[in-house]
Amino acid sequence: MVLEVLSNLILIIGLFFVFLAMLGLARLPDVYNRLHATTKIGTLGAFGVMLSILLRVGFSPIGVKAITVALFILVTSPIAAHMISRAAHRHGVGLCKESVIDEYGKACSSACSIKENE
Amino acid sequence: MNSMLLEYSLIFMVIAIIPCIYRIIKGPTIPDRVVALDAMTIVIVVMLGIYSSVKGSAFFMDVALVLAIISFVGTITIAKYLDEGVVF
Repeated sequence: MVLEVLSNLILIIGLFFVFLAMLGLARLPDVYNRLHATTKIGTLGAFGVMLSILLRVGFSPIGVKAITVALFILVTSPIAAHMISRAAHRHGVGLCKESVIDEYGKACSSACSIKENE
Repeated sequence: MNSMLLEYSLIFMVIAIIPCIYRIIKGPTIPDRVVALDAMTIVIVVMLGIYSSVKGSAFFMDVALVLAIISFVGTITIAKYLDEGVVF
């Protein structure tokens, strides 16, 4: 009974974070802002729903495969987000005009100027 | 009661695909489309997991695992292609 209530609670938390990520994907102005919103469904949304399924069915084959999928997404989703944001910045996708600082661009330009001075 | 919650969450997941398709079609740059495609794949993985739990069949979970692996490899490949111009 306690496990059932906990499973429903974690499922609702995961669905709430999926909703937040979809809202951010539709509404935010920039590729980096959208990436910041959609990375949450990899960690909190998918992990929450899969953990809810594990709590619901126990250590049956469905539960073990669910926690395997959850751990795989938990490991690989931040790596994919980091790779695609780095590729976007080096490909020349600009920031939105409300953003106030660009540390990675400054680091890149200063590294390039140092290399040119040598 | 419990299975009703799972079926409502399936309907919610189907609705959650719509902003991803909107962003894939409209997104101004290529990384926008890649981000939306990654998010849509994770939504489909979660949908397959819930459907597997509703049907009581463990085979949909294998489909979800393979789809997660293919999404990761595809995102890394497109990122490396955008960054350096070559894949390997």
